Amino acid sequence: MSLQNKPVGMPKKKSHAGRYISVAVLVIVTLIMLLPVFYMISTALKSNVEIRKVPPTIIPSQLHFENFGLIFSKIRFGTYFFNSIFVAVLVLIGTLLSSSLVSFGFARYKAREKNLLFMLLLSTLMLPYPALIIPQYLLFRNIGWVDSFLPLIVPSFFGSAYMIFLLKQFFSSLPNDLFDAAKIDGCSEFRTWWNIALPLCKPAMATVSIFTFLWTWNDFITPVIYLNTDSKFTLPIGMSGMISAFRLIPWNLIMVGSIYSLLPIFILFFIAQKYFVEGIVLTGLK
Amino acid sequence: MVKSKKFLSALLSVCMCSTLLLSSCGGNSPGSSDTAQGKDGVSGKVTYLTLNQEDRDYVTKLTPDFNQKFPDVKIEVVTAPYDQFDQKLQTMIAGNTPPDVTSHFGQAGFMEYYNKGMLLDLTPMMEADKYDPVAVGIPKEIADIYKIEDKYYGLPLNTYVSVLAYNQDLFDRANIPYPTADYEDKSWTWDKMLEYAKKLTVNSDNMEAATYGLEWFWAEPDMRPLYFGAKVYSDDTWTNGGNPSEVYFNSPEVINVYQKLSDLVFKDRVSPTDSIVQGLGGQSGESFTSGKIAMKPAGAWILSGTNELPFKVGIAAIPNAGNDKIRDVLYVDPLFILKGSKNPRAAYEWIKFNLEPEIQEKMIDLSGGNPPSNMKAFEKYCSFFPNIDPKDLKMVYDGGIKYGTESYNHLVNNYSQIWTIVKNETDPCLLTGKSTAADVAPAVQEKVTKLLKDMNSK
Repeated sequence: MSLQNKPVGMPKKKSHAGRYISVAVLVIVTLIMLLPVFYMISTALKSNVEIRKVPPTIIPSQLHFENFGLIFSKIRFGTYFFNSIFVAVLVLIGTLLSSSLVSFGFARYKAREKNLLFMLLLSTLMLPYPALIIPQYLLFRNIGWVDSFLPLIVPSFFGSAYMIFLLKQFFSSLPNDLFDAAKIDGCSEFRTWWNIALPLCKPAMATVSIFTFLWTWNDFITPVIYLNTDSKFTLPIGMSGMISAFRLIPWNLIMVGSIYSLLPIFILFFIAQKYFVEGIVLTGLK
Repeated sequence: MVKSKKFLSALLSVCMCSTLLLSSCGGNSPGSSDTAQGKDGVSGKVTYLTLNQEDRDYVTKLTPDFNQKFPDVKIEVVTAPYDQFDQKLQTMIAGNTPPDVTSHFGQAGFMEYYNKGMLLDLTPMMEADKYDPVAVGIPKEIADIYKIEDKYYGLPLNTYVSVLAYNQDLFDRANIPYPTADYEDKSWTWDKMLEYAKKLTVNSDNMEAATYGLEWFWAEPDMRPLYFGAKVYSDDTWTNGGNPSEVYFNSPEVINVYQKLSDLVFKDRVSPTDSIVQGLGGQSGESFTSGKIAMKPAGAWILSGTNELPFKVGIAAIPNAGNDKIRDVLYVDPLFILKGSKNPRAAYEWIKFNLEPEIQEKMIDLSGGNPPSNMKAFEKYCSFFPNIDPKDLKMVYDGGIKYGTESYNHLVNNYSQIWTIVKNETDPCLLTGKSTAADVAPAVQEKVTKLLKDMNSK
């Protein structure tokens, strides 16, 4: 077959050896990446004695599945878990609604000093959190919100500068023709945002969702500042109480807690993954 | 346009409903702190800030007992993690809602609170009440630790002495007699301990076989010379609010001590290196639980959980190393009232309540082995650890209190800054062995002196 007759776009045949090497490299890298996860599961299944064994055992000599129930009696794990879910879900809703609305406005409308406003918004990202702690605390204390979930949740309903920036870039990339067509068909501005812009931004929304959920889920300092009562603690504070310099540290139960606390993140990631792929496919078609 | 207005209304309604819903799980309104005085003058709310650890947050279980005596006082227990304790406290103070009672549960020590003028003098209330901590059962040496210029600024809740924990299985295997718990036994010296440590050490690359005779990462790095009779801070430090006018990190005695401690690891090789200690669980006491360390001095908290270990544990006196007066480091946690407390009288009653013998006994159980300060509860403490001989524990405690001095982190002002310099500069000698003590001493001396000069000039 001459070169001219070779079908265009037909992939070159890779040698088997190259493929095996790449698979082997991928497997090794994957195993290395999974090693901490494996060790976490292994430690979670060990007894109190075995977790202190030197050199440490890789596979537990006896599997202690009861550790997965024990954590609920050792600390108020269920309460902390529920509190974290409650806060993270509401923060997620708040951030998605407010940030997408604000970023839609910044991306779509022409207004005087819009850029100045946007710069002002972005400049809030430069403020370090420690500089905000005391003024925010005074504010929330004056309205009686200390020792409640409100200081953790309500600010998210007023937008997040980082997420607004992220979403604005995405909204700006949408063609104006879509919105013009919607306007001609009599679509209101809110409906344009809700029915046209948001569905097209699912990949960006998925990204925002994962970031927001992850940050809220792992947030330590804000709950420490505002929550006083044990029954209101979120998972990071609740679990930190298991580590005391004055007691033997129950690493097995801490690992059990870590496994449980990873579950919502895994679930969210698997749900959002579909939209990530969708985003990549859409980008590829353009 | 109508539709968009409807949508906007709906969105706002959702927001308002959410806010209302969230408000229902909200906290107290500002100024809800009840300051009304009861007929006996003891009423209102007392906020107690402590750590969110099982050895500290047990107090929530003591409040019903307190309320039997003082039904008009509400104890609100606020807890925070260790690393964020100071930040939480500062935020509460800045928000004009300081806790009424707390302790140096975070990184800042008593003297830092005292020097910032944060502590309330308890003496007037104690005098009016004719309350004598010694008569209640607290040893005078302990009660006086937080007494400055005849004024009590804190009353001791827990008294940890340091103990020398040892692994009885390793001693049995090496056929070495157990070390004594008696501080008055003149034969129990540093050299004797070193001799034991050499016999107990098995240096091997195989971690299965390796054992270490001694792990001496005990006390704060600037405190270690004192045990050998060398001082690093001038004497006025202990009378002027923890502000040393001079330091002696480059004196031959101090250099000699640091070199001796470095030699344990790098010359005598009876102690594990820092990296091995970290691998075994860390310097706070976890390394001892690995079963690889034969002897380790540490605060008495090392006793907690000894019944869960797969080897037998004994406790001994800290041996004599040349300082006939001081051989032990005490870690005494006082309860103090912060200035700005809205209910100092009720707060004072809460402190007194925590020091009662029966309550101290309850504390031992609920906390999982916190030591009492009230010696009337001490018998209960001695019998709390099933694997530890109560007689040994009693002897070690008696000797510890007699020969002990409070940890510097509680008594020296701006301690965290000094500690950081001393730690960073001595690490190459004590942790890595890359420098000798004579090499590092001038830098420690110079930097700490400069820091103190800067602080004193402010």
